[in-house]
Amino acid sequence: MEQMAKVAFGIYTLIILSGSILAVSAKSLVRAMVGLIATLLGVAGMYMLLNSPFLALMQILIYVGAVCVLIFFAIMLTRADAGGEEAASAPLRQNLLALLAVTTVGGILSWLLLTRPLITTGVPVEVAIEKLGLGLLGPYGLAFELISVVLLVSMAGAVLLAWERRNGK
Amino acid sequence: MSPLTLYQLVSLMLLLAGLFGISQRKSLVGMLISVELMLNGAGLSIVAAAQLTPANAVLGQLGTLFVMGLAAAEATLVLAIIVVIARRFGTTKTSVISTLKG
Repeated sequence: MEQMAKVAFGIYTLIILSGSILAVSAKSLVRAMVGLIATLLGVAGMYMLLNSPFLALMQILIYVGAVCVLIFFAIMLTRADAGGEEAASAPLRQNLLALLAVTTVGGILSWLLLTRPLITTGVPVEVAIEKLGLGLLGPYGLAFELISVVLLVSMAGAVLLAWERRNGK
Repeated sequence: MSPLTLYQLVSLMLLLAGLFGISQRKSLVGMLISVELMLNGAGLSIVAAAQLTPANAVLGQLGTLFVMGLAAAEATLVLAIIVVIARRFGTTKTSVISTLKG
């Protein structure tokens, strides 16, 4: 079983790596979205490996089901076609600066990660879904209510922002 | 290398991919895609840290759930902003959008 978990981890890592590379480097935004969806599915697999199937399902439901459809709407509404904004490759200076940022942050963080000892149990704990529900209704009820308020306000704000006034300003 | 380190390295990879994308993309939609990548890295890191350590696992899973909810709210608002900008400027290129006026 442990071998299988390692193989699955490798496959998911490969999916995440190739998907994220496609997502940030594809010339067409629709192809970048396909890369993003592959990455999200890979992360959902990681959640499965971490013994949290509820989160994996939520990842697929919220991210792949809702957020990706929203971004597809954004691509459609701005008419960002294949010959659009991302068609020409970025100038060399911008690419170099982006690489500099990535290597700086990545270097510092991976150095911290690899030199500091991490206290780990090695085996993911199992959390029953009932416990998650009790947590949402009990100690984390305020955060739960607040996030619904945030969602409601952002939906209303989005409608208000994108509202097209018919008779001028 | 412990499994926790491996998971954290994968989430670091997601963060770096998003960072590269957000500093190199030229349109707002591309930057939005990169932000989603970074948020996913954060979620994976939180869940790995909660599931593989003696820490409170319920808090970790619920925290990632809240990150997902916030990402959905953020994507909604950014979509509206992108639509307004595309209507006003006719493009979503970040080099063209350089006017600040109320």
